[in-house]
Amino acid sequence: MRRMLSRTDLDALVRDLLGAGTRVIAPVRRKVQGREFVEYAPVQNPEEIALDGSQPVRPLKQVVFPPTETLFNYKQDKGLVQIQEAPTTFSDTLVIGARPCDAAALEIVDRVMDWDYHDEFWFGHRQATTVVAVACTDSDESCFCTAVGLSPESTRGADWLLIPAGSSFEVRVVTPKGEALLESNKSRCPESDVPEAGKASSAVEEKVRANLAMNPAKLQEWLGAHFEHPLWQKIALRCHGCGACAFVCPTCHCFDIVDELEGVGRGARRRNWDACQPALFTLHGSGHNPRKDQSARFRQRVMHKFSIYPSRFGEILCTGCGRCIRVCAAGMDLIAILAEIGQNAEEAGSTL
Amino acid sequence: MNLYQPNLVRIDEIIEETADTRTLKLSFQDPEIAEGFDFKAGQFGEYSVFGAGECTFCIASSPTRKGYIEASFKSVGKVTQAMRRLNVGDTMGFRGPYGNHFPIDEMKGKNVVFIAGGIGLAPVRCVIWNTLDLRDQFKDLTIIYGARSVSDLVYKRELQEWGNRSDVKLYQCVDPGGETPDWTGDVCFVPALVEKAAPAPQDSYAVVCGPPIVISLTLPLLEKMGFAPERIYTTLENRMKCGLGKCGRCNVGPVYVCKDGPVFTSAQLKTLPPEY
Ligand SMILES: Cc1cc2nc3c(=O)[nH]c(=O)nc-3n(C[C@H](O)[C@H](O)[C@H](O)COP(=O)(O)OP(=O)(O)OC[C@H]3O[C@@H](n4cnc5c(N)ncnc54)[C@H](O)[C@@H]3O)c2cc1C
Ligand code: SF4
Ligand code: SF4
Ligand code: FES
Repeated sequence: MRRMLSRTDLDALVRDLLGAGTRVIAPVRRKVQGREFVEYAPVQNPEEIALDGSQPVRPLKQVVFPPTETLFNYKQDKGLVQIQEAPTTFSDTLVIGARPCDAAALEIVDRVMDWDYHDEFWFGHRQATTVVAVACTDSDESCFCTAVGLSPESTRGADWLLIPAGSSFEVRVVTPKGEALLESNKSRCPESDVPEAGKASSAVEEKVRANLAMNPAKLQEWLGAHFEHPLWQKIALRCHGCGACAFVCPTCHCFDIVDELEGVGRGARRRNWDACQPALFTLHGSGHNPRKDQSARFRQRVMHKFSIYPSRFGEILCTGCGRCIRVCAAGMDLIAILAEIGQNAEEAGSTL
Repeated sequence: MNLYQPNLVRIDEIIEETADTRTLKLSFQDPEIAEGFDFKAGQFGEYSVFGAGECTFCIASSPTRKGYIEASFKSVGKVTQAMRRLNVGDTMGFRGPYGNHFPIDEMKGKNVVFIAGGIGLAPVRCVIWNTLDLRDQFKDLTIIYGARSVSDLVYKRELQEWGNRSDVKLYQCVDPGGETPDWTGDVCFVPALVEKAAPAPQDSYAVVCGPPIVISLTLPLLEKMGFAPERIYTTLENRMKCGLGKCGRCNVGPVYVCKDGPVFTSAQLKTLPPEY
């Protein structure tokens, strides 16, 4: 038996939650200077939700990892300082229409936020957020989720997955949080004995598979053995180190910690998104820089995602969302780069 | 109180080491935290000036000296310059201790050779006092220290004290051109002084800290002299922000310097890519 939810009932569900004071975040259409795009944003009204649009330009990570987060406030009078704690519990948020690649990223980044030290801010937001993902009904030439073990119908990181079926959705409940959401909306999600009409998104999956095929284990092995390789110099030549790729990446989680004054004798310490591609990231006070040139910095980006994170946390730090490819002004193409590394790994195969 | 919130510390004393380096003696404002605070030689902390930000220093005092911590810092940027403008009685923030530590217990009953260049003496000084405060538990202790010039030597009063003690050998040098007319130490670079001091490798541990050039020349030299790579210890100082293995800034290959380090052996460094 499958549970179905009509778009009308989905809208009613959203209205209920908005009425109860829950923040609802969903893909909405935007038009800026004639350019149309979709982005995740808070909605006031279910009609704003665009579940059939293109992939939101920025990832969902901003919901659990805001671009700037206050760690605490302080007041200072002469030499004396008073600290005002910042909350690490947050008000309820429901995300409707997360892309599976964005939902999966949350679960992947959980690992680094919870080894030894537990990041209260990250998990505070995670705790407060319920994620309803929607299976993808379209993709473009930059998508490659299938190459990193995900799919347009992946449930990772989601509490519910909605699978479009005509004017309704099939509801797949994934987690206890999802169970709770179903419990309060059971009458809206009647059981139906309509047999599964095959994989709704299999055509999309097919299309994504054609973009990149890769063997992550082999790639990881090759990367582990080839910190030095002429390839690094070659592929990084056109990168200008702006870091845009990291800011649009759902799995990039580097941050800076800074103090910001907010008046005489008071201010806040915040953490802000940072990126490993600009040279300043690792520059020492002495002028020494362990990552001397852009090839070293781009190598770090690839290594971190496909070698370091897998070896430390057992996960690939990439969901194949393709945003870094779409955003790059220099035309750096991670699909082409992975294909080239993959080919090297293939050729090295027996000699490793 | 969340992970990123520091404890408040008071500056009890400021010692001018050189024209650009100072040592701050700090104590926790909250008596309960002061009472419960403990750390191991080699660990570091995130020190902050409210309104300027945070930066990373080792704890330069010894864990055997309770009730305070010391940090020695060189003014190189935003926070360290703000730290220079502080006075005795002012408040700073401290998060820590973080990271791993030197294997003091394993070194007991053995010889220990300390080698440092410039401000690299700060983390080494912590281990020196740690071993001196437990002097009868170690065999020979040798300190080899060099700086660019006489005025760049840090902890001058302590160098004098160590020089006067009979239970520790002290060798000092300054770079050619850095000497003064009354300088009685050697005039050479640190690796040359190590060769001159020729510490015996048998039953010995080495602790080496300093600028990258001192590390890269001294570690192979010690191995050539017969020190086991597993017994040559140093620290890495990759730039850090969180100190907690989260912010992604400090890694050398698969290693997070803030959590897996900052203390590494020469043997471990050989398995890492040269990104430090
Ligand atoms: C484990 C560990 C232990 C350490 N122990 C010690 C110690 O005991 N003593 C010690 O003195 N140091 C120590 N350090 C080094 C110390 O952390 C740094 O010197 C300190 O963080 C510098 O902070 P800052 O804010 O003053 O410098 P920053 O302001 O961060 O600047 C550092 C340098 O970065 C460059 N820079 C930064 N921002 C910009 C910008 N916007 N534009 C252009 N250039 C820029 C500049 O070249 C500047 O000189 C240690 C480091 C580590 C990792
Ligand atoms: S890959 Fe592109 S987006 Fe990323 S830092 Fe280089 S130029 Fe910027
Ligand atoms: S590395 Fe690129 S494709 Fe992979 S998750 Fe990040 S932005 Fe998406
Ligand atoms: S300093 Fe943030 S991860 Fe090491």
